[in-house]
Amino acid sequence: MTLERAMFYLMSLVALSSGIYIAASRNLVRSVFMFFVTLMAIAGLYVLCMADFVAITQVVIYVGGVLVLIIFAFMLSGRETLSGLQQLNNKFISIHKVPAFLLTILFFIVMVNVVVKGNVNGIPWTAKAVLSGNVIGAKDTTVNNIGINLMGNYLLPFEIISILLMMALVGAAHLSRKERGI
Amino acid sequence: MLIAAGLFAFSGLFALFGVYAERKVSAFIQDRLGPMETGKYGVLQTIADVIKLLIKELIIPGAADKWLFMMSPAIIFIAVYMGFAAIPWSSGLAPSNINLGLYYIFAIISIETLGILMAGWGSNNKYSILGAMRSAAQIVSYEIPAGFAIISVVMIAQTLDMQTISAQQGILSAEHTKFLGIWDVTNVGGILSWNIFRAPHLIIAFVIYFIASLAESNRAPFDIPEAESELVAGFHTEFTGMRFAFVFLAEYSMMFLVSMIAAVLFLGAWNTPLPNLGVVRLADWTTGVAWGIVWLAVKALALVGIQMWIRWTLPRLRVDQLMNLCWKILTPLAFACMLISGVWRLWVM
Repeated sequence: MTLERAMFYLMSLVALSSGIYIAASRNLVRSVFMFFVTLMAIAGLYVLCMADFVAITQVVIYVGGVLVLIIFAFMLSGRETLSGLQQLNNKFISIHKVPAFLLTILFFIVMVNVVVKGNVNGIPWTAKAVLSGNVIGAKDTTVNNIGINLMGNYLLPFEIISILLMMALVGAAHLSRKERGI
Repeated sequence: MLIAAGLFAFSGLFALFGVYAERKVSAFIQDRLGPMETGKYGVLQTIADVIKLLIKELIIPGAADKWLFMMSPAIIFIAVYMGFAAIPWSSGLAPSNINLGLYYIFAIISIETLGILMAGWGSNNKYSILGAMRSAAQIVSYEIPAGFAIISVVMIAQTLDMQTISAQQGILSAEHTKFLGIWDVTNVGGILSWNIFRAPHLIIAFVIYFIASLAESNRAPFDIPEAESELVAGFHTEFTGMRFAFVFLAEYSMMFLVSMIAAVLFLGAWNTPLPNLGVVRLADWTTGVAWGIVWLAVKALALVGIQMWIRWTLPRLRVDQLMNLCWKILTPLAFACMLISGVWRLWVM
């Protein structure tokens, strides 16, 4: 077993087990902190896919941003509200869980189909790219490539995302603004 | 493994030295003597402190979330410690030479916030939670001007590789270096080819980064997360013994790490400050692997010295003043620096 393969299984194991802990744990705050472990493991998987830029971006945005904001929300809401949330019906089988159950089953079927029918080793375009040498090595810089593609092929989606973020910013600023005369 | 152990030993030794220096500097500024009893001039004081911390009892408060409380000092320290992995010490001498080094450090440092929040929540103490919230709010906001100051350097350097950024600022540069965009100093080197002089608006970016880095390492005048007069000790109120030592170690390593980043990005990294003057080839004589380590260490230690000087000179900022400074002054200035960088790269360099 090569080192890469060993790392892949290790990262996957960490990601899966921490994910299960997040879903099963009753302690909300602990599951949020466990989410950090999941995110780091997934970042490791990205690195193994030679998407190091994506891996680091994931850490910056999710760990440095999203996770901190979630914890902030917890801290502002206080312990009593949280313990109230944790006392809600925790029976394993109940009518509330039918939609979630259906969704998971359907998603699981989709995933199994992808794995069984995907034939990951024989996709034509990857074979063609390997033949023509259009691949990225472990030591190559990916940033330049990403920049050129964002400003070229994917300019429209990039701009649409920026407008979406702009709308969110304006909305947040409007909501947090003080009303005059009160 | 050896490098990792070496870096760990280094950050430990630096914290020892840093605490001693901090005490002596504060004593000098306040016209006192500082520690004088343990050893000559009190040089053994911090070693005695470490022994005291090692033999102290580890207390876990009854109401604390045990796991979060125990894990958080480790996460805070490891986040800072991993940042050192990508810092170049000299030409061809870096623990890990990755081509996204700068971005990696930026990401790793942001994990520290999570550790602080974990400590605050895990302690289950009013002061700790308040301190952790203040700290997270402060770090998250000050990451923005710091990030834009860094981006304005990256736009000039055109790379995220710390080693390439360093090499560009001296006589080993592969491309032409111009002092203030007019005078070709590729063979002169020295202080003239540092980033802050290659593009003068980076002086502003440097100041912005320095202020933001003070806030990110929770140093005065931005130390409201651990404001002694209001919050006892902020997020690390409940920590004792080795756990407290780790939080402290993280703080001092963070000071050194941000100073090193500032030195690498703005102050010529491991390049000598002495230029070649005609036949007196000062820059050629003072460039080399060993010299590089010396220069970088001197620059970083000088910045740490300034951090201490500021801590004992300026009063603490209030929360609203802190946020005003960040969002109304530093962020627009950093944006302006970024714009100038683009123009400078396209038309001047």
